[in-house]
Amino acid sequence: MSLALLLALPFVGSVAAALLPTNARNTAATWTTAVALACVVQFGLMFPEVRDGGVLRQSFHWVPDMGLEFSIRMDGFAWMFAMLISGIGTLVAVYARYYMSPADPVPRFFSLFLAFMGAMQGIVLSGNLIQLVFFWELTSLFSFLLIGYWHHRSDARRGARMALVVTGTGGLCLFAGVLLLGRIVGSYDLDAVLGAREVIHSHPLYPPMLVLVLLGALTKSAQFPFQFWLPRAMAAPTPVSAYLHSATMVKAGVFLLARLWPVLAQSELWFWVVTGAGALSLLLAAYAAMFQNDLKRLLAYSTISHLGLITLLLGLNSELAAVAAVFHIMNHATFKASLFMAAGVIDHETGTRDIRRLDGLYKVMPITGTLALVASAAMAGVPLLNGFLSKEMFFSETVYLSSYPWVELALPLIATLAGIFAVVYALRFSFDIFFGPLSTDLPREPHEPARWMRVPIELLVLACLVVGVAPAWSVGAFLDAAALPVVGGTLPEFSLAVWHGFNAPFAMSLVAMAGGIAGYLLLAPLLESGRLRRVPIMDRFDGRRLFDRSLVALGALSRGGVRVAGTRRLQMQLLWVVVACLVAAFAALQGHGVGWGDRPRVPASLEFVLLWSIGIACAIGAAVQAKFHRLAALMMMAVAGLVVCLTFAWFSAPDLALTQLAVEVVTTVLFLLGLRWLPKRIPEAVRHPTLRDRARRGRDLAIALAAGGGLAALSYAMLTRLAPQSISPFFLSHALPEGGGTNVVNVMLVDFRSLDTLGEITVLGAVALAVYALLRRFRPPRESVEAPRQQRVLPADLKTDLVNPRTAPDTALGYLVVPAVLSRLILPIAGLVAVHLFMRGHNQPGGGFVAGLVVAIALIAQYMVAGTLWVEQRMNPHPVRWIAAGLALAVLTGLGALAWGYPFLTTHTAHVALPLVGEVHVPSAILFDIGVFAAVIGATLLILIALAHQSIRATRKPATAEAGGG
Amino acid sequence: MIGWLGQGMPHLIAAPILLPLFAAALMVAMGERRRAGRALVNVLASLLGLAVAVALLVWVDGEGVPGVYLAGNWPVPFGIALVVDRLSALMLVLAGVLGAAAVLYSTARWDRAGVHFHPLFQLQLMGLNGAFLTADLFNLFVFFEVMLAASYGLLLHGSGTARVRAGLHYIAINLLASSVFLIGVSMLYGVTGTLNMADMAQKLAAVPASDRGLLNAAVAILSVAFLAKAAMWPLGFWLAPAYAAASAPAAALFAIMTKVGIYAVLRVWTLFFAGGDDASAAFGSGMLVVGGLATLAFGALGVMASQRLGRLAGFSIVVSSGTLLAATGLGLPALTGGALYYLASTTLAVGAFYLLIELVERARAVNVDAPEPDDDTDHLPFALELVELPQDVNLDDDEHALVGKVFPAAIVFLGIAFIGCALLIAGLPPLSGFVAKFGMLSALLNPGGLGDLGATPVPVAGWVLVALLIGSGLVATISLARAGIRYFWAPQDRPAPRLRVVECLPIAALLFACAALTVRAEPVLRYAQDTALALHRPSVYIDAVMSARPVTQPSWRPEASAKEGGT
Repeated sequence: MSLALLLALPFVGSVAAALLPTNARNTAATWTTAVALACVVQFGLMFPEVRDGGVLRQSFHWVPDMGLEFSIRMDGFAWMFAMLISGIGTLVAVYARYYMSPADPVPRFFSLFLAFMGAMQGIVLSGNLIQLVFFWELTSLFSFLLIGYWHHRSDARRGARMALVVTGTGGLCLFAGVLLLGRIVGSYDLDAVLGAREVIHSHPLYPPMLVLVLLGALTKSAQFPFQFWLPRAMAAPTPVSAYLHSATMVKAGVFLLARLWPVLAQSELWFWVVTGAGALSLLLAAYAAMFQNDLKRLLAYSTISHLGLITLLLGLNSELAAVAAVFHIMNHATFKASLFMAAGVIDHETGTRDIRRLDGLYKVMPITGTLALVASAAMAGVPLLNGFLSKEMFFSETVYLSSYPWVELALPLIATLAGIFAVVYALRFSFDIFFGPLSTDLPREPHEPARWMRVPIELLVLACLVVGVAPAWSVGAFLDAAALPVVGGTLPEFSLAVWHGFNAPFAMSLVAMAGGIAGYLLLAPLLESGRLRRVPIMDRFDGRRLFDRSLVALGALSRGGVRVAGTRRLQMQLLWVVVACLVAAFAALQGHGVGWGDRPRVPASLEFVLLWSIGIACAIGAAVQAKFHRLAALMMMAVAGLVVCLTFAWFSAPDLALTQLAVEVVTTVLFLLGLRWLPKRIPEAVRHPTLRDRARRGRDLAIALAAGGGLAALSYAMLTRLAPQSISPFFLSHALPEGGGTNVVNVMLVDFRSLDTLGEITVLGAVALAVYALLRRFRPPRESVEAPRQQRVLPADLKTDLVNPRTAPDTALGYLVVPAVLSRLILPIAGLVAVHLFMRGHNQPGGGFVAGLVVAIALIAQYMVAGTLWVEQRMNPHPVRWIAAGLALAVLTGLGALAWGYPFLTTHTAHVALPLVGEVHVPSAILFDIGVFAAVIGATLLILIALAHQSIRATRKPATAEAGGG
Repeated sequence: MIGWLGQGMPHLIAAPILLPLFAAALMVAMGERRRAGRALVNVLASLLGLAVAVALLVWVDGEGVPGVYLAGNWPVPFGIALVVDRLSALMLVLAGVLGAAAVLYSTARWDRAGVHFHPLFQLQLMGLNGAFLTADLFNLFVFFEVMLAASYGLLLHGSGTARVRAGLHYIAINLLASSVFLIGVSMLYGVTGTLNMADMAQKLAAVPASDRGLLNAAVAILSVAFLAKAAMWPLGFWLAPAYAAASAPAAALFAIMTKVGIYAVLRVWTLFFAGGDDASAAFGSGMLVVGGLATLAFGALGVMASQRLGRLAGFSIVVSSGTLLAATGLGLPALTGGALYYLASTTLAVGAFYLLIELVERARAVNVDAPEPDDDTDHLPFALELVELPQDVNLDDDEHALVGKVFPAAIVFLGIAFIGCALLIAGLPPLSGFVAKFGMLSALLNPGGLGDLGATPVPVAGWVLVALLIGSGLVATISLARAGIRYFWAPQDRPAPRLRVVECLPIAALLFACAALTVRAEPVLRYAQDTALALHRPSVYIDAVMSARPVTQPSWRPEASAKEGGT
């Protein structure tokens, strides 16, 4: 089977397992075991190809331009890891079948398990560092899901989250480190990186790169100061712990250290960081492990300690130490996996993991007891077991190290001390629970587990024994193959014998044994009696608490940051936009300035100055009154608008003036109608302005003056210039001959830039639809529904000709008779004016837009004077249909050009000779203009109706207010 | 394929604008009561629009040069030209994909939450497509307005206090930004005398020194309008509340609206300043970079601070905006290429996320009656973690059984989709978010190419961007993990929510698209790189536009007074 298929197999298996029904316990377990076993067999068969430094490669194109190949690379070291991952995976899968409750929906468990296995194999088989990071983060993700498998338990949720955050952060650091490595080496390919030792060490980016990579490795391997997540991860089901924390997840960190050892090691920085973290983890975790009362937590701390040992070995910058590290990786995986499984068996059969409650279990579960005893002896480093061999190698490395004198002194001390602690916690795990009188108050009646639940432990313990007794025979070849790529080049001389003679390391082992037994005898009663519940001294320096606090602090900090750097108030947001404009414009003008142009000025006339003075005064008045006197502000705004209209007319822009006039009328009327529903002023809320208020107002005034003044200056600068490269002469010269009209503005709207017009009528339509949709759901507040104050002051018995428009069938009575008659008379006249404006539009001021507005104004007048009910009893304006028809007509007119082979919106002018009238130009744009006309009427009326229906709806049941929508 | 496309080609460029407009007119005419018919028209039009967009992308990638369509058959620069180049085609496809997904989703229930949802939806698509296609600055304004007008309606769709409040803020700010846009356009017209962007880019060199100040001010003011749309700090505070308040399909479509601002910046800025070596070269790039970095940092803060998923998604849009702005400002073609890939990935991801949020909250609302934590109040999400657990054996306070719980199928789907979205937003493997981030980071750290061995120094802003990109990924991981735990793991024994296939399908499709982006990263990145190269060599675009000629008079209609080419 090719490597790629082998890599894909667990993922495929994962998907298949996920699709099984939730109660398919046996199928899922068998399937998982089969997949893992297939991997073991296949990898096993590949050993001859990698044993003498051979490397298997397979690569696929992914993003070659960026140096990202999907490349699979297996050398001896990767092979060893792949075997550990799939081998222990197989055993754990068998074990999990019996461990998990029959009620548990295990297919999900096995699916995640296989996916995690695949991700782990992806890490060790990566031939590209980015690809390694890719799988690295996947292991974080799947371990998160596995640790949180019993998600209904709060400890599982917390443990999973902590593991994800810590290892995920480390993964991102590693990502950054690898990117830097890529910059240094010029490639992300593992082979290229492994061949660039000199370049890497001499590069100025080496220290930051190294620190980032190490952060990734140390978080993953739960090394000091990131060790705290591992004990919390014990909330996972025990098979997960057995897998993740013996052979896989945490080993990924040391895998990376060993993988990059040939190129990153051999520097001072490496020595201090790696050795330091390793030594502290080794010692402190072993110390903490002694005081644990939970079997799994004890093992968790022991795992940290053993990983510290491996890290320490890798940090020593010695090839022999690196070999020892590789050896201990293998040994630790075997005994730790079996210990976790044994802990699981005890938990499963007795119902507790509390060492204080467990006693004398050997009587009821002798086989499990024996297995656990042997495995913990291996963990403690008892001779004739595999743990002893690698521990001896470690001791001798610490003794024969040449470094600073105090380091040479401290390291063997730390090693021996950690050895003592290891013996203590190994005794607590084994002796303490298996011997003595049998406990009586256990939740369950203890007995031996199912046969197949024990088999995986038996196999692993057997391996511990075999390796311990005949190391060279059993693992010599594998260790050579695995260690060769780590040291790079040639293997140092080392011997795998059980007995090296009575030397310093052996003496240290003896001291550790003796000290450990003494320590246990001293400590056990204290812990057993419950007098010592916490870890002395170390309890105060709790990384976990620090982690929790910093997460909470991060949350608080970010919330504060968002509050300070952001705002939810509209006023501030608008202020920022204006200030941004000001700053941007001023910054852009720097160095250039803004000068007035030399276009000849039109001399000012008194009338014009007067006109503008009125306009300016009204505009300022509108701004002043806008807050509390909306009606007055609106009136003044209308006057300012009229002044603008007059200005347009003054400067010979009749089209603009006409359009502006109509727009002013419509918008002012709609505004007035909307005014009715705005919230009222609350007099009590008005307070005397404080100094702060005044300062704020002063600031706003300054910004307003600057923005207004700046805009005025820019306008003046623009208006006093002649645009030298302007495209406008083209429009003047082509409007009649090719656009078929003498009114250039109109030709521009319906021909030159008809796409703009199409867009603008779409905007109108969209706004009208949006307004209608919003107002249909709008329920006015109670105080707006009541009759206005002016009407309420009338005494009830007063005889008046005021009619209530909400109840009267015809409001055109009494004082409203005259306007009603007038407005009804205006309607046909307005229609005629609209037709006139429309027809002459192409050659004279006018056009579809203005014509539509005129019709709309006439209809609005009907609504205003006669009331909504009266109008709608007599006609249904169907504004929505007007909009649809207008848009469709405009589009279809434009599309008509396609039939003649021209692009969309190309116009065509037919020259028709009519009797009596003579020759007439009929441009196709006139149809387009009809579309504009219809859309404008529809949009305006729809907004009007949306507003008008408010007053009807306010007194009726909401459900009946459907009419008139179209 | 190319040849077949070439048949309908010149007119196909206008189709992304006309199709939605016509569909909208049709749906308006159909009236409110034929809701099913309207939904059908909307779905069909969206799918057809997507097909057209894909066809345009295939065509433009095959041709290699932009396609130009002269609306009204008037010569450049007097009429309005529509141009489809690689960037436009990419944006069209993204809008099409999001549109199709959102409209399908809306047919499950949202389209009944108010009137005129369907026509407004198509009008929004028309505005988006028009903005991506037009080569005329004023026409760009018009399409911005179409897009915004429709978006006002869509944002308010479904009503309710939160929507109206956020919606009115949104409208007010966008109206102001539109006025600013108009001021900028008119000043540019005053200085250059033209509105066609290609023509304008050509004429910039000829602007006399006395007008340079005005020109720069015009561009600066215009950019404020674009950047407000792109939600740059401090102009983008409207985004998170508005998008969080919008209904799910509207919010999903809005995921591409901030990208319109980015698109406009990319288009105008590269056209005007990337090619030339005149006095205004690289004008304002520092501003873009600093602003982008500030936006990125602010967005990351917001992501960390957010507890409600809607706001979290909104801030993640801010993060992506900041990233894109800073990447644009740095002006490295390889980086721009990575950023465009990122743009595609993040837009689809956030779109899917918005659709998902509604379903997740619905699942939660089945029996959880606890009030939603408001982000204004200082609610500590995991204060419980500070409570010391007994260092005893059973780590769970409530001694819950060591037996797993079965997830109902609906929750499984939501959970997987949530993980997918979270990975995409945080930029973690295996989905396209990781490839996108890697693409940008690699380009940032190797400005001279990967084999350059670091000979080209990385600018300080580049280092800051690297740090912020990685940091924002971390923050997103933490925040999304927190949210995921709270929504999926913490609730106990709740009944499964009822999901409909039309709601799940769009989410699955969007996530599938992101997976496809990962697997087919090479062709997509190649396309993005080509796009970036063309952007940094604006002469391609300018030449294509300036050399476009109107259709001359067909010989079989001698009386037609069609326009002659040129002036």
